[in-house]
Order: sequence, then C-alpha cells, then structure tokens
Amino acid sequence: MAEKPKVAICWLGGCGGCDETIVDINEAILRVVDAVDIVLWPVALDFKYAHVEAMKDGEIALSIINGNVRNSDHEEVAKLLRKKSQLVLAFGACACFGGTPGLANLRTKEDIFGWVYRDAPTVVNPKGNAPQAKYSMNGKTLTLPEFYEQVYALNQVIPVDYYLPGCPPPPDLVMNALTAVLEDKLPPRGSTLAPHKALCDTCPRNNTKPSRIAIKDIKRIHEVEAEANTCFLAQGILCLGPATRTGCGEACININIPCRGCFGPVEGVEDSGAKFVSALASMIDAEDDSEIRRIVNKVDDEVGYLYRFSLPVSILKRKRF
Amino acid sequence: MKHYEPKLVCFSCKFGWGYLGDEIALSRQIKNWLPIICSGKIDMTHVLNAFKNGADGVLILGCPEGDCHFQDGNFEAKKRVYLLQKVLESYGIEKERLRIELSLDPEGKSIPQLVKRMSDSIAPLGPVKRVKERADAAPVV
Repeated sequence: MAEKPKVAICWLGGCGGCDETIVDINEAILRVVDAVDIVLWPVALDFKYAHVEAMKDGEIALSIINGNVRNSDHEEVAKLLRKKSQLVLAFGACACFGGTPGLANLRTKEDIFGWVYRDAPTVVNPKGNAPQAKYSMNGKTLTLPEFYEQVYALNQVIPVDYYLPGCPPPPDLVMNALTAVLEDKLPPRGSTLAPHKALCDTCPRNNTKPSRIAIKDIKRIHEVEAEANTCFLAQGILCLGPATRTGCGEACININIPCRGCFGPVEGVEDSGAKFVSALASMIDAEDDSEIRRIVNKVDDEVGYLYRFSLPVSILKRKRF
Repeated sequence: MKHYEPKLVCFSCKFGWGYLGDEIALSRQIKNWLPIICSGKIDMTHVLNAFKNGADGVLILGCPEGDCHFQDGNFEAKKRVYLLQKVLESYGIEKERLRIELSLDPEGKSIPQLVKRMSDSIAPLGPVKRVKERADAAPVV
C-alpha cells in the first residue's frame, strides 16, 4: 500500500476557531482522513512536537497553520513545520494577516503586561508578579516562551505557499483547498485560495446601492436599527465590503451585520485600509471643511476599524511610540 | 547638535502647479517632488508608503476648489487627507505631517517655499519613529 500523504494541522496565536472550522466540514472529514495521515493536530489528537522533529525534512505534504506569531514558541513551531513540510497553508485571518490579536500592535509589550498583570480591575496581584522568560530558583532554571514586541503574520516569519483567509475560513473553501491539494490542482504558489473579487461584487444587497453613495453622517451598527435588505454604506453604516475579498458566503451581511474585513485585501491590493479610505472619502457628502471634519470625526477608532484583521500586514504595521 | 531637516514628499497636480515653470530646474530645488495629473489620483497607499519609507511629512498641492480639471478630484483628495490624518494619528504619526493645499501657481515658484514652510512647521516634531524590521524576516513566496 502506498503511503498516504502526511498532513499537520497546528495553531499558533489563535483562538481555536480555525481548528473548529476544519471539523465543520462534517462528514467530508472522513474522506479527508481516509486520504491522508494526520501527523499533528494539537487541538484534536495526541501527537507531540517530538514526533514531528523526528521526521525527515519535507516529509509532511501539507502543514495547515492557523494563528499568528506572538511569541518565541509560535516562531519555533512555525519554523519546525516549515522545515518538515513541502507546502504550508496560512489558514485563517490570524495566519494570513495577523488577525484581531494583531490589534495589539497599537500597544507596547509593557503596556499589555501592565494591564493584564497589574492594572485591569479584575486583577488581584499584590506581589506584582508577572511572567518572566527565565526564572531561577534553588539552582534550577524555568523558562517560558519570549513574548515579542509585536504580532507577526505567518509570512513575516516563514515563507508561506498558500493563503486561506477568513475568521474562520468557511467550510466550503476549506474543502476546496483540501481537494485541490489531494488532487494536485493547486494554483501557483503564493495564491490565496479564495475568490479575487470584492465582497460588494457578491453581496446580496448590491442592487440596493445607489449609483453614487452620498452619506451625511456616519453611524455605528449598534446606534441604529439597520434596514434588513439595504446596502449598509447607503445607510451611513460603515461596511468594509468595498475593500474586502469575498468568499465568506456573506455570513455577516446575512445576519444584518456589516463586513468587518476578515477576508483581508482584494487580490493585488497591499493595504485594504488605504483603499477603504479612498472609498469612504468619496461617499462623504459635505461641502465645507467643518462639515467634512465633523463627519470624519464620527469614525471611531479608525485603525481598529480599517485594520481589524490586518494591522500587522498593513503598510505601517504598528503604532510608533 | 546637527541641524535636523525633515524629509518631505511633495505631490502636486500638474494642472495647477508648475506647468509653466521649468520642471527640471524646479525638481533640483524640491526634493522628492512628484508632479502628477490630478491630486485626486493620489492613492493613499502612496502616502502610507512614503511614511513607511522614511518620510517625515507629505504635502499635497491640488487645484483651487471648484477648479478641478476632472470635476472634483481635488475635493476628493481633501476628504481622503482628512480621513487619513485620523488614521495616521492612530499609528502615532501626527496629523500635521500630512497636509493638503488647494491653490494655484503655474510658475511653480512658490512650491519650494511651501515645502520649506511645511518643513519648518514639522521640524519640532522630529523624525517619524521607525518600526524595527525583523532582521530574519522571511521573504513572501
């Protein structure tokens, strides 16, 4: 019997939702496990990193890595899997762009530690203990992974062959990706395994979009009751659809929530935030300076909004301190 | 201490700025000068890239309001600038570092002065802090 191709599934700085979505392909997963040997999947199976270390370089056919790189442990695992794998798939928004945890790039490491271990109202820490990368006691040294200054997307640490964005990626695209690997029908390396168009192109509300959107005010989704079948932007509610790749199945739109950008930039675009700035500016319907300023000031937390999933891969990457 | 001079990038619309002047002579006086056709053509990606690559300020010179050759490119540029200023502030880059002026100077003689004036006004802010790149950053495949 010919040996089945080996597949590793691993999470780095992620929430586990991406592992969940692999299970969400339901019965189809049985076909997948028939066709491949899973050699690592920390969330679901009891393999150790030592098993992977013992393998030959390139022995794993495909590594599906979700989550970003936040600490030295993530980096070590990412580099190990890269070395042992022929293909690496960055799976989910965190691996592709840094994801929501990437918003931590707006703060310093000290700021984050100060809040989590000292200042947050729920913290009781009279001794002021905070984790150290190294700690010696009774002649023995304990170590923890080093927490980096910033969050990295996977391709900022190891070369990545394919990308599958989404928070999490929808099961149909997961299945397409797995089928493409198994049937050896993959597009050129570096491709994103999702449609190339913007979300607006496939949005069910597209036909309610006026030819030129003119908004006199910017509203947030919780401030108004959004109309169920009308373009969000036409209602003055920020929606990242014009600058976000489609493929998600319009999951948010269908439950009356505007797009938040988890599929990242459209094909060929480097920085989706810059593109959305252009799109939004053209919709602002105001004549004089003070009116433009007033509308612009209604956008709350600009970077958090424009780069909710992609701050670490944006052109400016992180806040300057 | 050595005198600090901010690095500026200046975009200007060819319909309003310097089209009668000697472009070569002007570009000797103005460092990083990019005459383009319509300020509305400036993708904010270029502004972000300027800051990423070490610019301390970006000056955009567009045509007077109501005088855009393409109807309202200058006005669109202004709205973008106001929005991007807020984005830059969240990145820790002061909004004074991005400025748009809508006016006219076919000879272009005032461009070096405008650049100098902006340079002087942002000099007290010092340079934009650089983000440390990873030395071992892997190339994108």
